[in-house]
Amino acid sequence: MKEPKIGVYICHCGGNISDTVEVAKVKEAIAKCKGVKVCETYEYMCSKPGQDMIERDIKEHKLDRVVVASCSPRMHLDTFRGAGKRAGLNPYLLEMANIREQCSWVHDNKEVATNKATALIRGLAERVKHLEPLEAQSTPVNRDVAVIGGGIAGILASIELADKGYKVYLIERNPSIGGRMAQLSKTFPTLDCSACILTPKMVYVSQHPNIEIITMAEPIAVNGSPGNYELTVRIRPRYVDTANCKSCDKCAKVCPVKKFSRHEEGLTQEKCIYLPFKQAVPNAYVIDRDLCLWFNKGVCRVCEKFCPSKAIAFDQKEETRQLNVGAVIACTGYQQLTPELSKEIFDGWDVFSQYSWGLHPDVVTNLQFERLMLQGMHRPSNGKPPKKVAFVLCVGSRMDKGIQYCCKIGCMNSIKHALLLLKAFPEAEPWIFYTDIRAHGKGYEEFYSNARDHNVKFIRGRVAEVVPNGDNLIVRAEDTVLGSQIEETFDMVVLSPALLPNFGTGQLSKMLGVDLGPDNFFLERHHKLRPVDSKVEGIYLAGCALGPKDIRETTVETMATASKVATFLGRGEVKLSPEKAYIIPENCNNCGECIKYCPMKAIESTAEGVKVNSISCTGCGICVPKCPVEAIDLKHSTDAQLMAQIQGTIEEDGDRPRILAFLEKTTAYGSADLAGQTRVQYTPKVKIIAVPSTGRVGLKHVLYAFANGADGIIFIEGDDSPFREEGIREHVNSMKKELSKFGVESLRVVSMTTTLPQYDKVVNLFQTFDERVSKMGRIAPEKRQKITEALAGGKQK
Amino acid sequence: MKHNSFRQITPEMTDPSFIEEIKKMPGGDKILDCIQCGVCAGSCHARFAMDYSPMQVLKMAHLGLKDKVLSSSTIWICASCYTCASRCPRGLNIPAIMSGFKNMAMKNNVRAPIELKPKFHKAFTEIVSKYGRMHEPELKMKITNKANFNELKDNVTLAMRMFRKGKLKLQPSKLNSSTHFSDIVKNVLKEEAKK
Repeated sequence: MKEPKIGVYICHCGGNISDTVEVAKVKEAIAKCKGVKVCETYEYMCSKPGQDMIERDIKEHKLDRVVVASCSPRMHLDTFRGAGKRAGLNPYLLEMANIREQCSWVHDNKEVATNKATALIRGLAERVKHLEPLEAQSTPVNRDVAVIGGGIAGILASIELADKGYKVYLIERNPSIGGRMAQLSKTFPTLDCSACILTPKMVYVSQHPNIEIITMAEPIAVNGSPGNYELTVRIRPRYVDTANCKSCDKCAKVCPVKKFSRHEEGLTQEKCIYLPFKQAVPNAYVIDRDLCLWFNKGVCRVCEKFCPSKAIAFDQKEETRQLNVGAVIACTGYQQLTPELSKEIFDGWDVFSQYSWGLHPDVVTNLQFERLMLQGMHRPSNGKPPKKVAFVLCVGSRMDKGIQYCCKIGCMNSIKHALLLLKAFPEAEPWIFYTDIRAHGKGYEEFYSNARDHNVKFIRGRVAEVVPNGDNLIVRAEDTVLGSQIEETFDMVVLSPALLPNFGTGQLSKMLGVDLGPDNFFLERHHKLRPVDSKVEGIYLAGCALGPKDIRETTVETMATASKVATFLGRGEVKLSPEKAYIIPENCNNCGECIKYCPMKAIESTAEGVKVNSISCTGCGICVPKCPVEAIDLKHSTDAQLMAQIQGTIEEDGDRPRILAFLEKTTAYGSADLAGQTRVQYTPKVKIIAVPSTGRVGLKHVLYAFANGADGIIFIEGDDSPFREEGIREHVNSMKKELSKFGVESLRVVSMTTTLPQYDKVVNLFQTFDERVSKMGRIAPEKRQKITEALAGGKQK
Repeated sequence: MKHNSFRQITPEMTDPSFIEEIKKMPGGDKILDCIQCGVCAGSCHARFAMDYSPMQVLKMAHLGLKDKVLSSSTIWICASCYTCASRCPRGLNIPAIMSGFKNMAMKNNVRAPIELKPKFHKAFTEIVSKYGRMHEPELKMKITNKANFNELKDNVTLAMRMFRKGKLKLQPSKLNSSTHFSDIVKNVLKEEAKK
């Protein structure tokens, strides 16, 4: 390797640095370092004269590596890299030493601050020798989009994107699109007819040249990377030819098998060959394979004989289809809590049991009530109009565990039902038993007060029990406002069950490589600022897949999602940071260890060996220490670069214990910067090295650090990293085990996860760890010798 | 039943350290989880006899109304049937909290609205810790007001009828190692005292 020519520039920062750090002394020490050609100091390096100085020197002295020692790289790295670029220096050959936020601002002793600044700069001067010029890559994106889920969210997202000119595949699990909204009677708070606003959209989708609807289909595998996904979809047979079916109903008339209708929530029966609902899109019949006599007993096929348009196709087979798309939208919606799910979630407790669910036909869910409303309101038990109806809210919602969240639609939905009931039967008496009425949307509070004006009775108290009493139902509850128990007889009881993520959400999240939140709904990238992005670029979320919400909110979210997808695909290409993992094919033995640990699913095993997908790879480097044969490395944070920086940083610091802190470069490092900005003082023995993620640092580096003079090592991971909590704990625990073989106490390594504002937690760790290490004293030179030998031995192998 | 209602909550009535005391007692750690939904009150079979509903007692405890909570009849009337606990959406063990309040009331010598109740509880624990089992005649002897002739007469007639049917034993039945059981009780009390 050609001897690099390094330029080091030390900033005074107008006294911010030079008041504590004796800049001249630092300059003197650094100028002596091997490879340092130029070492200058200046009042304000970031000013125009400062930047000009760097540009001039690069040209004049033919510098090929630059270290700027000033503020945090989070502040000015791009500034200085820009200056270098103007002089023809590759941006990845310039590094910054943070001697302000992490040195001069947090220490007041001049001597120690000067020593620490020197050490930090020396570490980087060593590191830059090993840097390589890197170029940002870009790759073209596929402009097609897959929308998973054909409910209102999927329909609106498809329309929005198709109108913008993108080709959309709308994938729906059921025989018809429309989702839950197709089952509703009216919508709150405007009392618009649900079908009247939904069905035109469904028709529009079906006729749009840019939208292809794929019903009875589910994705079974997702491969590829942002901008270029390959979706494998399994399509179940409908056994009816959609193109030929005229929906004449002749087949259903002759079909001998009856089943409960899913669309009618099991309240009525339909035939085994059925139209999902009148306005279904595609408007074609479908055969229920599980119940059809032909598939179960090999007889019948009567529908085939009576079909005038020869649309019945018993020979249809299940097929799979590959879709190549640039982005995926998951809008998989919700399902309602059922007794079975309740037992699963609440350790065997069926929250429906106390409401006589299943014991009396007049106890229904709110979705069944919607259907009853459309069928012409009647009591399921005797078909008579109900007079007194109790609405029971929060069935299974707001629990201490399992379902902690609010279903968000129960309150408004029940108020809507109460008003619709009064409209149908003015003499009816709706009672709403609520825990807290949540009227948080536009026009909702007015809707609530409208219901009060109509003499809807609101009882603040969760219903304790519903007991059947002949034809009627007794509801027991406490009116918590009056502090007295209520026992009233009702004709009907309507339950508002909790909302859960739709079945299959967990599997889909694994397929897509995105996270679920603690509530098992999809997790957004950022609660406030990126509410519809998943953690993976190119995969977006919308609607109730993200959490319970009403139609209006779903629409808003869907528009946002469509816009995000259009922005992502509209750029035409994906720009990629070059800081990615790469395989060294000579060493690789295809063991697949790295594939297991990659949190982004960016490493794949192919016919030509293991490959890193440089688009999905986020450059966290977790894979690197996991490789047993050193066949994977991370660009811009290679083993050689990291080792050089470790050595340079800790090799000299007198007789005091030396502590090295590896901080994840965004959140954890930012947290340490914040400590500097608030001028919290902490021990100068701690020297910080920024790493892509603490998982990048392996046993090798830790041993190397101990061999070269470190006495304690701190790992701090950011709270938003895939490596937080268990990841880092396991990593460090396995390290501690190995260290004990060399007689290094496990207490010399410590790890933590932090969020950006928790700088006091970081500082606290620095202080307590310093006390601990100081008590333990320095590591004996014999032990260091032993580690050095072991490391050298390992290399010879 | 005397209803000790109050129209105003004044600073003198609240004790900010009360909630910390509650958190230390069994089941009390979750007390702040209560969302005041009223399932406990609606489910309570003894609610008609209480001056405050269980939900209101929990709310008063949140606010630190120590005297009001400890002098309420609710904590004594609670029959520990656990209907509320089995239905509470927040997983609060309300009967356990009520028992804690009973203990606290007795320790603080708060006069119970139903005098018989603390007497009963005291006698009950004494007998059980002595024999390891219940001995009904002794319990009745302990809690009956012997100065009241009518009460005494009623009890004696009842006892005779029960005795004839073999429901009462004159000698207390003991655990095989009842001394061992009373040792356990003594140790528990010792540990309690240390706290």
